[in-house]
Amino acid sequence: MNAPIAKSTKVITGNAAAAYAAMLCRPDVVSAYPITPQSELVEQLAKFHADGVLDCEYVTVEGENSAQNVVCGASMAGARAFTATSSYGLVYMYDAMFNTAGYRAPVVMVNVNREPPGIHAVCSGQQDMISVRDTGWVQLIASNCQEILDLTIQAFRLAEDYDIQLPVIVNYDGYYLSFLAEAVNIPADNEVDGFLKVLETQPERPKLTPGQAQGCGSHGIGLGYVELRRKHMDAMERVKAKVDDIDTEFAKAFGRSYGGQVEEYKTEDAEIVLVTSGSAAGTARAVVDAKREAGMKVGLVRLRLYRPFPVQRLAECLKGKKAIGVLDRSIAFGWNCGPLYQEVKAITPEIGIVPMLSFIDGLANMDITKEHIGSMIDNIQSAARGESYEEVTWLP
Amino acid sequence: MTMVAIEKKPQKGSEHFQCEDQFSGGVAFCAGCALELNARFVARIMGEKTILVGTPSCSAPVLNGQNTAAWHKMGHYACTMTGVASSATGITRYYQRAGIEGNVVCFTGDGCASDIGFQTMSGAAERNEKMIYICYDNEGYMNTGIQRSSATPFGASTSTTPSGAVSQGKTTGSKNLPMIMSMHDVAYVATATLSHLDDYAEKLAKAKEKAKEGFVYLHVFCPCLVGWKFNMDLSIQVCRAAVRTNYFPLWESENGQYRITQKVAKPKPIEELTGLLGKFKHLSEDNVKSLQAKVDKRFKTLDVLCKGSSYPG
Repeated sequence: MNAPIAKSTKVITGNAAAAYAAMLCRPDVVSAYPITPQSELVEQLAKFHADGVLDCEYVTVEGENSAQNVVCGASMAGARAFTATSSYGLVYMYDAMFNTAGYRAPVVMVNVNREPPGIHAVCSGQQDMISVRDTGWVQLIASNCQEILDLTIQAFRLAEDYDIQLPVIVNYDGYYLSFLAEAVNIPADNEVDGFLKVLETQPERPKLTPGQAQGCGSHGIGLGYVELRRKHMDAMERVKAKVDDIDTEFAKAFGRSYGGQVEEYKTEDAEIVLVTSGSAAGTARAVVDAKREAGMKVGLVRLRLYRPFPVQRLAECLKGKKAIGVLDRSIAFGWNCGPLYQEVKAITPEIGIVPMLSFIDGLANMDITKEHIGSMIDNIQSAARGESYEEVTWLP
Repeated sequence: MTMVAIEKKPQKGSEHFQCEDQFSGGVAFCAGCALELNARFVARIMGEKTILVGTPSCSAPVLNGQNTAAWHKMGHYACTMTGVASSATGITRYYQRAGIEGNVVCFTGDGCASDIGFQTMSGAAERNEKMIYICYDNEGYMNTGIQRSSATPFGASTSTTPSGAVSQGKTTGSKNLPMIMSMHDVAYVATATLSHLDDYAEKLAKAKEKAKEGFVYLHVFCPCLVGWKFNMDLSIQVCRAAVRTNYFPLWESENGQYRITQKVAKPKPIEELTGLLGKFKHLSEDNVKSLQAKVDKRFKTLDVLCKGSSYPG
């Protein structure tokens, strides 16, 4: 049993916020391998464990691939399991991630976004999370330290929901959030227990138990495989509404709401919209406010759910707008644009043809400045006025 | 799960042979395959309360439920070849935490244990995880078409080290995997084979007990009649020849102490083994001498360790 944790407000980093959240959810098994910029998170959990504050099996593995297999095996046996990684670590888990998702193991993983190519690219970027897009995991993106804590707690609620039973990644920007210290409200342990209690009222999921002739890990071939893939896809679709519901439940319990699948900011009367995710959204809000003061009808949409892609919610937000820009912190080879842009563009049949602009910024710790976002919004505005525009712009 | 009637006939031999067979009859191994006997024997002694952790391999269709049906009564967990010992770690750690009793047994070939799954196995051994890892050593990737692994011996012709006009098969010797695992300072390590079932049975029973303390590694010589090219009635004879030539000595180790469990008074020359196997057919006299030298050298290392040991019990 964990030592009691009282409600408090602490100035802590994004990594520490994730560690507190994981601890508050009382994982049975934690397994992780340190990697910059995630290391502080696993060190914090190790310290909690060493001090007797966090009661769990803490498995210090020899690499991320093993970390992923440990949490998958533990989860299939019945554990609540948590891991955390970043960049190459995430990529090193790649084969095992297909299993965790395919076996429907409700593992929660934090991924601290970092560029993968180049061993010295120890800097922020979302290419890691993009590269595991089709492994079958749910992916969420946080935008500040409080949200990292809140979203990690919500991730357990989502992953283990009987209707979902899928592993969930909570992404947040390396450096910009992992090492940023902010005031964070840390809930008391019994508050988190109360929030997760609903899971205990649901039917128990299957667990691999000695003495029972049961197994896991084979999808078979042919129709058996197809059936499992279809069920996986259906569960993934159910995630969308569940994320909204959990956001509402969370607001009731803790007084903080983030809008569910996407967070809208001044979109209602907006003529143009910038779509983005993660820490850049904070900067973008300030720029939207400034542009509004200058008379520009601009709004902001922040993606919180990356997989499944919130197609319907986004279409609602973007329908009727005169021009749309998407800010990406990664690139999509073959499409010569940002990957989030590529997906937003695929909603065109739902919202009609309007100018769409892809902005690639913030690769490898290049700051996404107010000036950058200001110029993006100016570009979207001139495209909305019917002026010619570049579809893809790299900043700076 | 498809379940065919389980054979419950008691068999002759040691008390361990009296345990219930966990398998259905007529499982999908090659006729004469040593792996079938191995799998049945392991399961008989481990019993029903066992989770087998395995990978794509010869044993997968029978053990790990390919096409979603397994051919035995035990629980099973299949994963990639990179994730066997780590998956088993997750399972055994949760069982310990939740107070669930059962044997967590990794059962893989040498390709997984010595090559692609080695890192994770070494990690689990270093952490002294409470589990049993059984490697059935058929000296290469027999299931996928007889390719070499790092457990393939010197001179063996495989599909990736074929003998040819300018090739004498594999140019380097095998990794001494059981010795490497014993150097991890784990709870128990032993070698075994199917010509010496009493010896194997005792080691399995010991493994079951020792896994309560920490990591157990069993390395089982398990010839493949297809890959090694010998007749289906010779599997046990090949095992026996491997022991009698000191090619595969039977030993055990705990707490840094070593003991040979089946002493061979007058070891036979290696030709008694190589002569049985098509995969060595191309070897020159010099090649055979080289192989003999490797066998002698490896045995000497073991012998020195045994002589320096005061084995418990």
